[in-house]
Amino acid sequence: MKFSTIKFELNGKPVEIEVPPAMRLLDILRETFKLTGTKEGCGIGECGACTVLLNGQAVASCLLLAGQLEGTKITTIEGLVHDERMNLLQRNFLECGAVQCGFCTPGMLLSAYALLQKDARPTTDDIKNAIAGNLCRCTGYKQIIQAIQKSTESLSDPDQ
Amino acid sequence: MIQDIDFYRPGSLEELLTFLKDHGSNVKIIAGGTDIVPGLRQKASRFSHVKTLADIQHLHELKTIEISDGHLSIGSCATFSQIEANALIRKHFPLLSCAAGLIGSTQIRNRATIAGNVVNNAPCADSVPPLLVYDAIVCVRSHREDYTVPLNELLLKPYQTRLNADEVLTGFRLPVLADGYRGEFYKLGRRRGVSISRISLAVLMQLQGGSIQDFRVASGAITPVSVRLSGIEEYARDRKAGSELFAQLAQQLGNEIIKITGMRWSTPYKLPVVQQMFYQILMKLNDESVTG
Amino acid sequence: MKKEFSTIGKHIIREDGWEKVTGQAKYGDDFNFPNQLFGVPVRVPAVHAKINHIDYSEIISDPDLIAVCNCSDIPGSAKIGPIRKDQPIFCSERVVTSGDVLSLLVGPSREKLLQLREHIRIDYEPLPILSDPSKALEDDAVLIHPEFKTNLIVHYPLRKGDIEKGFQQSDEVIEQTYTTQCIEHAYVEPEVVIAIPMGKHKGIKIIGSIQNPYTARRIVASVLNWPLTKVRIIQAELGGSFGGKDDTMNILAARAAMAALKTGRPVKICYDREDSILESYKRHPYVMHYKVGFSRNGKIRAMKIDILADGGGYASMSPFVTWRSVVQATGPYEIDHVWTDVRAVYTNNPYTGAMRGFGSPQPIFANESLMDEIAIRTNKTPDEVRRINALRQNSITASGQKLTSHDVNLVTVLDRAVEETGFSKKWRSNHTASCGPHTLSTGSEGNGDDASKLILKENDFIASSDLFKKGIGLAVSYRGCSLGAEGVDAAAAYLSVQPDGSAYLVSGLAENGQGLRTTFSMIAAEVLGLSVADIYYLEQDTGVIPDSGPTVASRSTLMGGAAVKEAAEIVRKRLEKVLMDHWNTTGAAEFNFSDHHVYATGPPNQRIRFPELCEMAFQKGISLAALGWYAGPRVDWDEETGQGPAYFTYVYGCQVAEVRVNIGTGEVYVDRIVAVHDPGKVLNLLGAHGQVFGGVTQGAGYGLWEQINSLSGQIQELNFDQYLIPTSNDIGEIVPIFIEGRDKYGPWGAKSLGEPTLELTAAAIANAVRNATGRRFFNLPLNLEEIMLGRKLINKTAMRGSHV
Ligand SMILES: Cc1cc2nc3c(=O)[nH]c(=O)nc-3n(C[C@H](O)[C@H](O)[C@H](O)COP(=O)(O)OP(=O)(O)OC[C@H]3O[C@@H](n4cnc5c(N)ncnc54)[C@H](O)[C@@H]3O)c2cc1C
Ligand code: FES
Ligand code: FES
Repeated sequence: MKFSTIKFELNGKPVEIEVPPAMRLLDILRETFKLTGTKEGCGIGECGACTVLLNGQAVASCLLLAGQLEGTKITTIEGLVHDERMNLLQRNFLECGAVQCGFCTPGMLLSAYALLQKDARPTTDDIKNAIAGNLCRCTGYKQIIQAIQKSTESLSDPDQ
Repeated sequence: MIQDIDFYRPGSLEELLTFLKDHGSNVKIIAGGTDIVPGLRQKASRFSHVKTLADIQHLHELKTIEISDGHLSIGSCATFSQIEANALIRKHFPLLSCAAGLIGSTQIRNRATIAGNVVNNAPCADSVPPLLVYDAIVCVRSHREDYTVPLNELLLKPYQTRLNADEVLTGFRLPVLADGYRGEFYKLGRRRGVSISRISLAVLMQLQGGSIQDFRVASGAITPVSVRLSGIEEYARDRKAGSELFAQLAQQLGNEIIKITGMRWSTPYKLPVVQQMFYQILMKLNDESVTG
Repeated sequence: MKKEFSTIGKHIIREDGWEKVTGQAKYGDDFNFPNQLFGVPVRVPAVHAKINHIDYSEIISDPDLIAVCNCSDIPGSAKIGPIRKDQPIFCSERVVTSGDVLSLLVGPSREKLLQLREHIRIDYEPLPILSDPSKALEDDAVLIHPEFKTNLIVHYPLRKGDIEKGFQQSDEVIEQTYTTQCIEHAYVEPEVVIAIPMGKHKGIKIIGSIQNPYTARRIVASVLNWPLTKVRIIQAELGGSFGGKDDTMNILAARAAMAALKTGRPVKICYDREDSILESYKRHPYVMHYKVGFSRNGKIRAMKIDILADGGGYASMSPFVTWRSVVQATGPYEIDHVWTDVRAVYTNNPYTGAMRGFGSPQPIFANESLMDEIAIRTNKTPDEVRRINALRQNSITASGQKLTSHDVNLVTVLDRAVEETGFSKKWRSNHTASCGPHTLSTGSEGNGDDASKLILKENDFIASSDLFKKGIGLAVSYRGCSLGAEGVDAAAAYLSVQPDGSAYLVSGLAENGQGLRTTFSMIAAEVLGLSVADIYYLEQDTGVIPDSGPTVASRSTLMGGAAVKEAAEIVRKRLEKVLMDHWNTTGAAEFNFSDHHVYATGPPNQRIRFPELCEMAFQKGISLAALGWYAGPRVDWDEETGQGPAYFTYVYGCQVAEVRVNIGTGEVYVDRIVAVHDPGKVLNLLGAHGQVFGGVTQGAGYGLWEQINSLSGQIQELNFDQYLIPTSNDIGEIVPIFIEGRDKYGPWGAKSLGEPTLELTAAAIANAVRNATGRRFFNLPLNLEEIMLGRKLINKTAMRGSHV
């Protein structure tokens, strides 16, 4: 099997790996870096459990191959433990009951995070659209949408 | 999951063209990878010969969106997120930005490119009907030549175009429309979020004093490849807009589609529905132009 | 005990939440062990076939293949099943469904094994395929399991009153057939299991996405022919289950265990989505004939029901699932004369088993559709006709059970839902509108396959103002709680309070993502006056706590919760005893445990900090660890007549759906669902809301588009590109409302909610669509084609888009 050297930035740190170029980013994260917060639900871009940020945008890591990573910035759920906006989202997810089995949760949080980075005051429809690619079988989405909404309000409201 | 595949990362478009010249037949260009990667996983036969993927997503020259001398140019690697958000496209080519916004999910739109959508040429490719009604011209380059070709001539059959293995689609050129056009991109899926088109239509209508000056319609997902329905377009021209004409056009649409596809498993559902929705779109466009 | 609750019924944040939102929670595939191998299943590309020979010669000496496990490696039971032992761990001579597995390839790289798998040559003869359950009992039907001599898995009769007399007393009779489809659980996490050999004497440890650790343990032990104690099952965080990670997981656990013992190394089996959908069991498709006789005033006199369930290739839970159907098939109505037959049969379709709802969503769709038709025939509104027939306090159910021990709140939930939605008025006005000129645009003409008939006529075109039709519909149900007369019903919980006042808790029932750990922690906290943060919930481990039966049938709160409460009360009693000695009070003293303190109410009016009290008990050598055990009250069933007190208590629900139907395309927009449920006492409000939102959304997917099509037994929808579950954009507003009926069973009268929320939605939507369009649909799901053509269209040459 052929291997390539690939350099990119992972959770704020430069990394260099030697992997087969068609290895999926999802597997690189889970196997090479042991970052298991990124999940696999379908492997074909439909479920969003594997969502990560690529240069700040939500993407499906099951559809990205190692060869496409050169020079990119990848952020996973583990990379945002100290991020204020992410912490707010996480707290609101818990307070609103947006987490049941939790398997969709990291991907869902990253989609929400990417949305809020782009637009701090999204409408409910914007929120629904931003997470339409994240399937959740447990919650029916209502409390997730509520949690994201709450995170927009408290961020933009200095009194909170 | 994915078999041994090599990656090639050209430094420029020129480098890519040379590489394709030398290795053409076993190389596949990869842009967003949203068709290729699931295709490889599911062992799609159209990717079975692939030994090397040539990545082009990082080539900035292929990402520009601009208007000059009456044409909009869209680079092949423009993603649907870019296209949806682009103000020029919103203003001058609203059907395209609408279609872009309805493709897949945010995650997909952030990666999926317009050239990938066109070259993959699925019957349900959502950018194709709008591009067709906007008379898109495709820009192609290879080590041999640069040329342009109208989009409808490029599309061969489902999942196939006339592009050669050593050719790169570099972008699209869309003539900016004259005033007075109204249009709609219509997509019907099985659910509201992240859905493949069961039926799609792009319709452009230019009205003057209640009569139709120009009329364009392209199908998606109901014909094997998206096509402009020129018979209907010609019939409509210079006729008086109104429910009577629209019903006729809808019936003609039904007849044309059945001529192209014959009876298929989905015809009993799709044929009546596409007529009905085509009629609804036309009524809506007409009402809008009356109310201004 | 005090009346005011401090924890129960409040908004409480999940105990396991923080790990989940930070990506730290460990699901099955997040566990890896040194030296670990992978296992990959080998299947034959057939549905029903005789296997002549499997040739591994091309790969057998490949260094990437360490071992092949098949049925010849099984020391114990080769076939398993909850009732009938008909499902092989590995098939040898025959396969009967497309998901069947012949062997397991074991090696260090999963990818390499997948490649090697392509080089196995299997010599097989296809056998005739039985895919239509209604042909399964014909004389010349192929036998799926010839050893049973018939394809009948189970037959439950229920006889009440005199059915002929009932029909004679009726003014009108409606007879109708309804069908429901096969669906997939679609938990977002696919199956994973890892077996780790622990050395000769310690046995084997198994970690995985296992719904019922005790069942898995029993199966693994019987396959290995080992005592139960040598098999330890640890449940990983479960990425959804909905009843679906039971039989399949038990089999995977057994295969992994065999492979681990054969190689002496940890073996992981992790399924991708395609494997998961192909091999896991599904919800039963039903064919249901209903005949109902009623008086002009809307009172039902007689109901005759004949239900056929497609069990697929293996019996699995079919006997339990269909038993619930026979109990509940009439719906929650008092009917004097009932004659029901429910049968489950084998076919070559994917096998079917437990799924949230468990034999209720199907008959509810049928009987609630029927109730609306009775309403229309008798010129009443749907709520009126239900009120006329509803079960009330002291009513007698179809199985002859008198409802006494709890509040029979059916009419209460119905009234509340009707009032909340302004039901009757909306229903009447939509009904009148639906009888108007514009109905669905393709009429009967569109049903032919003649192309020219598919061209619309001038008057088929709809005015845009008429394109969307509004509809409102309701459905009600009653649901027996827990396992009922078919199962042994008991559960355990272990609570150990530490000298500093914190406590360990674990129950024999499993966290499946529903929030059980939080609810159980709340119960213990409430009894001891602690907060949920003081309770440390231990990892579920079969080595630690007694078998508590399966986590199914929405029984966890009712049964497991009662066991937790029992354990906490035992500890509390001991602490009270310590206090009585300490404060020198008599036996009459009353204690109040709250805010981390214990107060004596009445003399001596003292108080003590809870940790201090625990320390004191510890110093005195008093054990603060207790095992709570709760056994359900007796229930009973007569197999011949289907009579008896089937469940010891019931819950009631009513859902109202408001929809818009695009009569040009057949799209159904669910604008609002009001879900009124009586789950008994609501312990965890946040969790209860989550159950309603999630259940209703699943129910809507079932009603509108989810479907596993198995053409000749082959599944068409193997991943989420084809199998469509609702997204965030699909379902409108959902309004949960709880009515807390009293019950003498369950912790503070708490019963169940998880399944009731799901079972009503499809039926309510179907009734709303009827109200909107004036047309009744008899076959789920109500997808685009069903609405427009009244039938399903199936792509017989289906190729998944990207296969081309
Ligand atoms: C979950 C999901 C949902 C989707 N939903 C939709 C949807 O709603 N509507 C829709 O239309 N599509 C949808 N798609 C399909 C897909 O996203 C589009 O077709 C996408 O536009 C393909 O672009 P890409 O850049 O990802 O192509 P790639 O996968 O990189 O390439 C696709 C094909 O195009 C060729 N190619 C790409 N760029 C060039 C070029 N410049 N010159 C020559 N050849 C080129 C490649 O060689 C390949 O054959 C969906 C896909 C997924 C996974
Ligand atoms: S695993 Fe990547 S989208 Fe499902
Ligand atoms: S919480 Fe279980 S899938 Fe979303």
